[in-house]
Amino acid sequence: MSEPSTLGGLARELRAQIGDTIDVGRQAAWYLVRGRWDWPAIFAQAHEIGVRSVFFVIVCLGFLGAIINLQAGFQATRIIGDASLIGQQAMPLVVRLLGPTLTGMMVATRVGTGIAAEIGSMVVTEQVDALRMNRAPPAEYLVKPRLVACMVMVPALTTIGITAAFFAGMLVAAVGFGTNPGTYADFDVVVGLDLIEGMVKAAAYGVAIPIIAATAGLRARGGSEGVGEATTQAVVAASLAVIVLDFLISGAVFFLR
Amino acid sequence: MSSDSNHMISFEGIHKAFGPKVVLSGVDLAVREGQICFIIGKSGAGKSVLVKHLVGLLRPDAGTIRYRDEDITGYTERQYFALRHRCTYVFQHSTLFDSMTLQENVALPLRKHRGMSLRESADAAMSYLEKVQMQDMARRRPGDVGDGLRKRVAIARALTMQPEVMIFDEPTTGLDPISAVNVDALIKALSDSEGVTSLVVSHDLRSIFGIADRVVMLYEGKVLLDGTPDDFRGSADPIVHQFVNGLPEGPMAL
Repeated sequence: MSEPSTLGGLARELRAQIGDTIDVGRQAAWYLVRGRWDWPAIFAQAHEIGVRSVFFVIVCLGFLGAIINLQAGFQATRIIGDASLIGQQAMPLVVRLLGPTLTGMMVATRVGTGIAAEIGSMVVTEQVDALRMNRAPPAEYLVKPRLVACMVMVPALTTIGITAAFFAGMLVAAVGFGTNPGTYADFDVVVGLDLIEGMVKAAAYGVAIPIIAATAGLRARGGSEGVGEATTQAVVAASLAVIVLDFLISGAVFFLR
Repeated sequence: MSSDSNHMISFEGIHKAFGPKVVLSGVDLAVREGQICFIIGKSGAGKSVLVKHLVGLLRPDAGTIRYRDEDITGYTERQYFALRHRCTYVFQHSTLFDSMTLQENVALPLRKHRGMSLRESADAAMSYLEKVQMQDMARRRPGDVGDGLRKRVAIARALTMQPEVMIFDEPTTGLDPISAVNVDALIKALSDSEGVTSLVVSHDLRSIFGIADRVVMLYEGKVLLDGTPDDFRGSADPIVHQFVNGLPEGPMAL
């Protein structure tokens, strides 16, 4: 993998990267249906991707919920002199958009880089070639456990993150603006479609991030420099995918409303 | 080069580039059954790149690869699984899996390629470890043993396939002289007693003059020399002369 120096080179590199990502995704899907299920590897990845990200997600989404309610409270108090409805304004936004997307971005950075670095290191030390020689396809042995773990754990982390944002926001609203927690927690404002939109986004990120990151790792060439490039490429591409998927799913749900 | 039924392996006009870097530009090479063929050249000459094409770890940009007269160039990854049963690869850094014991490393291809159960593969792995005198260290992990011993285990792992062809990528690089001689003796014994065809990527002149039947030197993406070790030693070509004598000055760009 070398840095393309011209616009044409960049386009070719992008096309090759997208082609490889589709190919890895296709192979991973095939092994999801036909391949063996290595449960110890899947649980190990679920622990690494999910459990070890919980604290990070709770802290980040908790502060996000606090900040949103703080800002909403300031504005509501200044304009209408009443901050009792800030929960009803903030929560749909957190459930539909900020919860899943920020969780996705955190997974893209923390987990995506880890996947790309680990697989990239295996590529440059020929361990992936050794797997292929031993009839152990990388898509089955390396990608599938990470994909299954992300498909389960990203929605789970999103749910945890939204919950953290909810309670942190409620605390800020109650302490900062005297909002009644019962009024804040008016779930009538969050409709079923909001929850579905949030979970569909989380599931989509759970599929896209490991495939993009694993592809970046599998494309690593050379030595440690190649692994570094793969890691950077993984975080950039996975973050971009989160934003694009967010837009596409939001657009689709907009037409369904 | 036309296909020849006496040749077990044929590379015909192989081209391979990585981005702008051209590594192979029309390599022709045919290897007979049972030969120990050394592929030599300076670092970056494309030796490993060439042999990886035989087992589908790399795909050529152009050219044809034949195995026993069958064109395998367009094989799918799944078709290569069967070929990798017959042609095995001993990697330069052994590439044993750190999370497994030496015995489990050897047992892995027995389970994956030959469909053995966990218990059967473990028992069979011990017999292959005995062939390389590593049975006493079966429960150790790769990190607990030295390079030479890891190389022996990698050879045992490759032997589990009962291969027709073994590809050795720099098998003696980084080994002490005694371990290197042991590895050479193992390669020679496999050729003599089991008729295994060996493709050996190496810089090691002692190995070349000790066990090679044939020497192929790659230079600037092409075959520069193809002959016996004596042809190699006595070549008048200034580049071969520089290489065989290890001269820092000469026409070969460093």
